Amino acid sequence: MCRLWRGGLCGIFLPTFVGDAVSGATWLAVSLVFFVSGLAYLAVLPGDETSSESVLLGLRRTGLAGTVREFVGRHDPMVLGVPAVVFALFVAARAAFPAATTGAVDAVSGAVLRQFGVFFLGTVLVAVAYCVFLLLGPWGDVRLGGPDAEPTYTYPTYFTLIFTAGIAAGIVFWGPAESLFHYQTPPPYFDAAPRSDAAVGGALTYALFHWGLSAWSAYAVVGVPVAYYVFERGAPLRVSAILTPFLGPDGLDTLPARVVDTLAVFATVGGIATSVALVSEQFLAGIGFQWGVTTGQTGPVLFVGGLTLVVVLSAVTGVHRGIRRLAGVNVALFVLFAVVVAAVGPLGVVSDRGAAALGSYAVNFVPLSLHVGGAWVAEWTVWNWSWWFSWAPFAGLFVAALSRGRRVRTVVFTGVVATSLATIAWFVLLGGTSLWVQRTGVADVLGAVAARGGAETVVGFQVFAALPLGQLLTFLFLALIVVFMATSADTSTLVVSVLAAREGVAPSTGSVVFWGVFQGAVAVSLLLVGGGQTLQALAVLTGGPFAVLSLVALAGLTLSFYRRERGRGHESLVTRLGSRLPTVQTHHDVEPPEE
Amino acid sequence: MADTTEGPDSAVEEVFYPTDRVTLVDWRRVSGAKPAVALVGVVALLAFVAGLSNLSDEALALEGPLAAVVPGATGFARFGGVVAAFTLALVTVGLRRRKRLALRAALVVLPVVALLPLTTLQPTDVPLLLAALAAYPLLVRNRGSFDRALHLEPLQVASLSSFLAVGVYGTVGSYSLRSQFAELDGWADAVYYVIVTIATVGYGDVTPTTPVAQWFSLSVIMLGTGAFTIAVGALVGPAIESRMAAAFGNMTASELTLLEDHVVILGHGDVTAPLLETLETETNLVVVTRDSDAAAALGDDVNVLTGDPTDETVLEDARLDVARGVVVGSDDDARDVLAVIAATNVAPDVRVVAAANEGKHVDKLGSVGADRVVDLRSIGGRLLGQSVLGREPASGEDLFEEP
Repeated sequence: MCRLWRGGLCGIFLPTFVGDAVSGATWLAVSLVFFVSGLAYLAVLPGDETSSESVLLGLRRTGLAGTVREFVGRHDPMVLGVPAVVFALFVAARAAFPAATTGAVDAVSGAVLRQFGVFFLGTVLVAVAYCVFLLLGPWGDVRLGGPDAEPTYTYPTYFTLIFTAGIAAGIVFWGPAESLFHYQTPPPYFDAAPRSDAAVGGALTYALFHWGLSAWSAYAVVGVPVAYYVFERGAPLRVSAILTPFLGPDGLDTLPARVVDTLAVFATVGGIATSVALVSEQFLAGIGFQWGVTTGQTGPVLFVGGLTLVVVLSAVTGVHRGIRRLAGVNVALFVLFAVVVAAVGPLGVVSDRGAAALGSYAVNFVPLSLHVGGAWVAEWTVWNWSWWFSWAPFAGLFVAALSRGRRVRTVVFTGVVATSLATIAWFVLLGGTSLWVQRTGVADVLGAVAARGGAETVVGFQVFAALPLGQLLTFLFLALIVVFMATSADTSTLVVSVLAAREGVAPSTGSVVFWGVFQGAVAVSLLLVGGGQTLQALAVLTGGPFAVLSLVALAGLTLSFYRRERGRGHESLVTRLGSRLPTVQTHHDVEPPEE
Repeated sequence: MADTTEGPDSAVEEVFYPTDRVTLVDWRRVSGAKPAVALVGVVALLAFVAGLSNLSDEALALEGPLAAVVPGATGFARFGGVVAAFTLALVTVGLRRRKRLALRAALVVLPVVALLPLTTLQPTDVPLLLAALAAYPLLVRNRGSFDRALHLEPLQVASLSSFLAVGVYGTVGSYSLRSQFAELDGWADAVYYVIVTIATVGYGDVTPTTPVAQWFSLSVIMLGTGAFTIAVGALVGPAIESRMAAAFGNMTASELTLLEDHVVILGHGDVTAPLLETLETETNLVVVTRDSDAAAALGDDVNVLTGDPTDETVLEDARLDVARGVVVGSDDDARDVLAVIAATNVAPDVRVVAAANEGKHVDKLGSVGADRVVDLRSIGGRLLGQSVLGREPASGEDLFEEP
């Protein structure tokens, strides 16, 4: 491993010497080993406490039959079985009748997104409004886990874990790409001529809208109810906890609750596996475009394999070790990348355009949220909301799990406001930079995209090659893709293991490994039979039920808050701020100027 | 509310709350002196790689914001990295030994290294900039840890200063005689000439053309090569000597850890050779001595640990805690007392036997913790007395004087 590391470093630092001697495929393999081994090593580094022994002991189990029996015994058969069967059926159907399967799924998803577009838009707006209410209103004061509970995760850890889990490599690809696409095909709401100066503002605004407060609210409206019922009512940590006000904390092993959990596992594994498959294809497509390396079928499979290894190690070592460390590396790289882009990019132009777009985002937020603009909105906004809702079960559950000892207000602030500020800054910076590159003619990014059949992956490479320190930016860009994907997939692995385990049983190491490998296997089979896009459409469709469920959850939460938290002295943020003003006044009164 | 917070999901506890506190970065572990030293090492490595990269790039473009400000930017960009790397490698060694001088050197060199990426702004140089920027505050934060003075022997000081003095003499002299030299035009040429001459390379491109210049050159050769050789010897010699001496301590760390139920002999003296003869067939032995000559003379058959027998850490290396017994027997009773104290500090329960060279020291050795003290001279005297009377030599018990 050391030699490969050294080889990788030589290749990166001395391309003139090494570049000719090593073929592109080897190069790719070396760089993948570089990323994978680095992240895996970081994940398995021992922590303060020496728990590595117990991990090893957990794996050292004899007898296959006994292992399987125990594995099945620890799981809820329905939650374990149904997703496995559905994925197997899908892969088989796709392999046997590729055209028919794709056609059917596309027809259904297209119809749903078109027919129920208004419903998705309305749900997201309700979610945002409810988050604002929790943030400012009296119930934001409720401390999860009792008034004396202390948060275990420090605030930076809390934010980092939530942010990196909730967002995958999409942010890396779409950061430079999304506003460029809207610049080429302006959204009907802003009605500007394509590629005109007027289109820039609308393009940036829509990118912020798609990745800002609305998107993150989808996680909070699942996360806050789950956290409340888990830490205040003793419900088990699973998505079905949102049904506590209707079924009671002990009624969560009934059929409706188990259906919800099964759906959550399906949506999570489907969402993550398709992301992994698509990201690996996009990653290698981008590399192929940039350096002319074609890897065929094996490249993506190897990529998924390496990623799965990292993910499994990270998930097995736990939230406080692997997952936390990868999340830390992720945020450090994220910040470093943004700082370098800001330093070498056109910061003046970006900040002007960004400020304008932020203003436009604030002014147009409600109209944008309610705008039903035909095919464009169905294709972009509604599809996007559905995708975020399909991730909500796992991301929301993770937010809930970390939130013991935090106030509801802090949960909402972190999960919605702070995280969207980070994504908004990112999209302003990268979107503004790529628009600048395109408009000043430094590089014809859209031309390159068209040459690749509209692939968004090439945007980043084109934009960064046009900036100073382009090689460094490209390298960081690739690293960010890998690490963002890994930090979402390791969390989802852990969450799915928790979801699929029987109530009150912590997932064993074997079960975490199983789910990590299962995700990887689904991704690999999608790559082999094709149909990642189709499965993604299918996974997006699960966003629909969760949009409905989140409305149910909000209704239930309102009911619970009204019954149990009313009149318990919770202060709204407005009252709290208001109560501070007179003290400032008296302060002046107490110390009058000397006469 | 009792019914609500009781009995939370045990899976939640186990998976998400295994500890009371989870911080993003464990600052205690990453902000100490050790990470600082390691980071300086990383800077040295990155500076070397970046320097090599810049050196190999034939069309090196200076795109950094400081390219216009830094004097001699091109040369600095080409050679600065590698030169800084070697300096920092030396500094890292010094920092590992916690030398104050190394800290000061690092605090000067790191900003200079940081100038390099700001001059070139090559992608390969940015990691260097980041590492240098991280290392600097970490070193400043841990400055208290690097507090050891650089101890130089008088010979080292003398040779170093005479070497420097000859350098100054040669440079100033050849510069002022530059009209009497071929191809010597400025200060740079003067420095070049002196170094080439002192190092006995003598390319011959700069040559004295008058008798005065020739005499001057001879003086530089005589003084300079002498000072150069002595300086190298004085600086490198001790390092090699200590390396050689360490080589005589013929046990590796892993061999040391395998020792068990052995006898440790602290110090080397007149009694050591017969002692070894007696014990060699009986048990495993380790001799601990400072005297590298004596250690070398003991040969390869005996386990030797070169180190101070009065130093507790050395005794810990000799595994005193699991030893069968300790024999303290050098020719210096004062040091033996210290060795007994050190031995009882490391392993209070081990049996310690000491040899006293003078009768008056028997009690002292006993009172600091030796379980048994043998007075060498009185034993000899008694044996002589018994022999002259024609008696059988008494059993060992009678020869001992109880402490």
